[in-house]
Amino acid sequence: MKSFRLATMLAAGLLLAPGHSFAQELSGPQVVRTLGRLQGGAPGIDIALLMEEAAASAGKGVAALPDWQKLSKLSQLIVEIDFENDSIAIEPKSYRTVGMIADALHHPNLRRYKFLVVGHTSSTGDAKHNLDLSQKRANAITEALSTTFAIAPDRLFAIGVGEEWLVDPSNPQAADNRRVQLVNLGLVK
Amino acid sequence: MSTRTRLLGGALVAFLALSGAARADTISFADAVSTLANDCGSDIKKFCKGLNLGSGRIQNCLESHAPKVSPTCTSTLASVTTSIEQRLAAQSSFTAMCKHYVAQFCSGVVGEGNILSCLNKATRVNEGQCGQAIIDAGWR
Repeated sequence: MKSFRLATMLAAGLLLAPGHSFAQELSGPQVVRTLGRLQGGAPGIDIALLMEEAAASAGKGVAALPDWQKLSKLSQLIVEIDFENDSIAIEPKSYRTVGMIADALHHPNLRRYKFLVVGHTSSTGDAKHNLDLSQKRANAITEALSTTFAIAPDRLFAIGVGEEWLVDPSNPQAADNRRVQLVNLGLVK
Repeated sequence: MSTRTRLLGGALVAFLALSGAARADTISFADAVSTLANDCGSDIKKFCKGLNLGSGRIQNCLESHAPKVSPTCTSTLASVTTSIEQRLAAQSSFTAMCKHYVAQFCSGVVGEGNILSCLNKATRVNEGQCGQAIIDAGWR
């Protein structure tokens, strides 16, 4: 079921592995376990800095930048959430994935943690437009999580990276590049 | 087991029987919004194009188009909204409902996740408000 494709990537560098197939369906408990595997403290992530770097790098990529590299070392989950074309409206077929994230974030094992929602696009269209759209889509997901599912807003951060971090760089227009990355940023202060 | 504990247990069961009468089982958020997507997906595409799930926009839109929305969707929207509220309420009540069991079986256990797994291992916690809260919260 494509709209419910969930994938996990825990090891650094996997994000860049071209053609690596990580599509698999996960159960709720697996999602909780995957996102809860914190090895030591999460390194300090400066979201404003990540945003600045993504904006400055539109069309040039961010995967190699050290601040963005830090993210790949954290517990995370990659999901596919489909949107209406050129819109922030989540397709109904992807509601389930948003609900599943909400189930996981409400579990006692994860209720102490804050999360970064990273929106990615393929490289179809203009890089600057993709960056803006991915930020708005990431915002839309955090809004759905915090309003419809009552996740505390101070646990959620949204950032769009547009087409700057392709999961399949050899095939930049591939649909696989459209994805949402959910990263555990560590304990809520 | 002391008489006091048994009486307390009896009181909890009686309270649960009363409060449980009006309550249906909750379902996961994933299942709730899947049902919404299945039963209301075509109405959402038709009447709510460009609108999002957050901040009640889809709910408001479907309600404002109520005469044209399918009866199945209208009824699903109401039950899904209720189910999400009930599950959130059960999750919020966990600490209070399970306080006595935590003191009895899991004193010294630190962290909400660890407390939950300790309670889930203490089989007696299947009973009463605490067990019901865990079930309704979707944590067992």
